[in-house]
Amino acid sequence: MTHRQFITLTVNGDRREVVVTPEMLLLDVLRDGFGLTGTKRGCTSGACGVCTVQGDDGRAVLSCLSLAIQWDGRSVTTIEGVAGPEGLHPVQQAFLEFGAVQCGYCTPGLVMTVKALLDRTPAADAAAIDEALAGAICRCTGHIKVKEAARQAVLRLQAAAQEQAHGPAQG
Amino acid sequence: MQLPPFDYAVPRNLAEAVDRLAASAGNAAALAGGTDLLVNLKYRLVAPAALVAIRGLPELRGVRDGAGGGLDIGAGELLADLLEHPRIAALGGLHAAIRAVGSQHIRNLGTLGGNLCLPTRCWYTNQSEAWRTARTPCWKTEGLVCHVIPSSTTCRALNSADTAPMLVALGASLVLRGPRGERALPLADFYQDDGVNQHTLQPGELIVRVLVPAVAGRSAFRKLAARTGLDYGYASVAGVAIGPARRPRELRVVAGSVASRPVRLRHAEALVLERGLTPETIEAAAEATRADLGEVTNLFSPPGYKKRVVRGLVAKLLADLATTKERAA
Ligand SMILES: Cc1cc2nc3c(=O)[nH]c(=O)nc-3n(C[C@H](O)[C@H](O)[C@H](O)COP(=O)(O)OP(=O)(O)OC[C@H]3O[C@@H](n4cnc5c(N)ncnc54)[C@H](O)[C@@H]3O)c2cc1C
Ligand code: FES
Ligand code: FES
Repeated sequence: MTHRQFITLTVNGDRREVVVTPEMLLLDVLRDGFGLTGTKRGCTSGACGVCTVQGDDGRAVLSCLSLAIQWDGRSVTTIEGVAGPEGLHPVQQAFLEFGAVQCGYCTPGLVMTVKALLDRTPAADAAAIDEALAGAICRCTGHIKVKEAARQAVLRLQAAAQEQAHGPAQG
Repeated sequence: MQLPPFDYAVPRNLAEAVDRLAASAGNAAALAGGTDLLVNLKYRLVAPAALVAIRGLPELRGVRDGAGGGLDIGAGELLADLLEHPRIAALGGLHAAIRAVGSQHIRNLGTLGGNLCLPTRCWYTNQSEAWRTARTPCWKTEGLVCHVIPSSTTCRALNSADTAPMLVALGASLVLRGPRGERALPLADFYQDDGVNQHTLQPGELIVRVLVPAVAGRSAFRKLAARTGLDYGYASVAGVAIGPARRPRELRVVAGSVASRPVRLRHAEALVLERGLTPETIEAAAEATRADLGEVTNLFSPPGYKKRVVRGLVAKLLADLATTKERAA
């Protein structure tokens, strides 16, 4: 007999309580419990990255390999929490502009993967982007446009950081 | 794929975790990062009644300076955290081996202890239950046949844990804690060439720490997989050389993903120790690995392929060891 238990999980800044049994995956709670279906269910065995969310240490986490119960008292960010009040996140904007989307099934996982990388490594180079994206796979297309979009996002975020530090660029 | 039901326990310390595991008489499993265990549960390869969460245990955390200038690594440390540690970054071979485990996503959840305990793998067992039931059970799944090598009377599944050959080459040892107390064990003796019982962990026993001795030398690691950065290797090789670059006094070369345990390549080592590390001896030593490997299980690869891969990887590894400046640990 497995027991039911209340856990507290902060999702995209909202603190929620939910009843879980130990075998419930973080993925199931996000999708079926909270209706946050942006996080996709794919291989469910760690090999495709479509279920990627961002953990409280800023890292990309596979929600298909995490028990919800392990996240009691912690917080996660899903694709639904990425855009701000001013609009799309620079990573999302770059994906849009570079056409890094076909059917879109992998897109939330890819965006979360790139966002997690840039949050921890704002100056990520092409090799770091390749390494991060090795764990999140697009079934439709290659990774070329995705990588171009990621590199563009690095430049935009760097420009934004500079603007914050020194005011808008002149000329 | 859904998980089967199980109980979940969060012990407050190591003693409680060991008690809980020992009391279950083999019916509970330690859950570290879960990147392998949860997949095996979904595949119904294992069916523990309870999982005991060990990742947060204080005794399994931290990277400390070990005895004599070595390293003392907590078995519960995340692989991703280890990659950011300056002392591990300074140990080129170990850093490369940790980085070869799965993808960044996997390393963000997976631990070093979990990697060292990774069960052996083959193309028959590591599939969903529905897939497996299309054939009769094998040695590992309580049957009497090997689907990979029909003539084999034992399970020959492969040990593909990437940090294992590197840590064996570095001469690492483990601190284990079980119901009967603590013991130390050289990592090389932790493994045995048996696809079903690949390691010598006693019931209820856990890896607490991984001790890497100081090595005044160079380390290197190479792996070949279908895709860089997600797949298990066709083979991996790890090496440590001590002494002058062209004339090492000590050399350890270990291969992974070729047997149910990491395999020391002693013929190749002896040849280099006798004749030095030059372009000619590198070729000869790479060729000598055939004698070390004996009969190789070509899982996931055509016959003869693995031996060619090891030959090529060892040539590259020895060239790395002849040129790297790094002094290990
Ligand atoms: C898509 C994918 C790709 C992968 N690629 C690779 C790869 O290329 N190379 C590679 O080496 N691995 C790979 N792995 C396997 C696995 O992710 C890693 O080996 C990882 O390091 C396992 O660590 P964990 O903490 O998640 O272990 P868990 O899954 O938590 O545990 C694994 C096993 O070890 C036992 N265990 C864990 N910690 C301890 C301890 N301290 N003491 C005693 N027993 C313990 C558990 O009970 C369980 O039996 C891959 C996995 C996936 C899903
Ligand atoms: S669904 Fe989680 S990695 Fe594929
Ligand atoms: S756009 Fe279809 S899976 Fe990537």
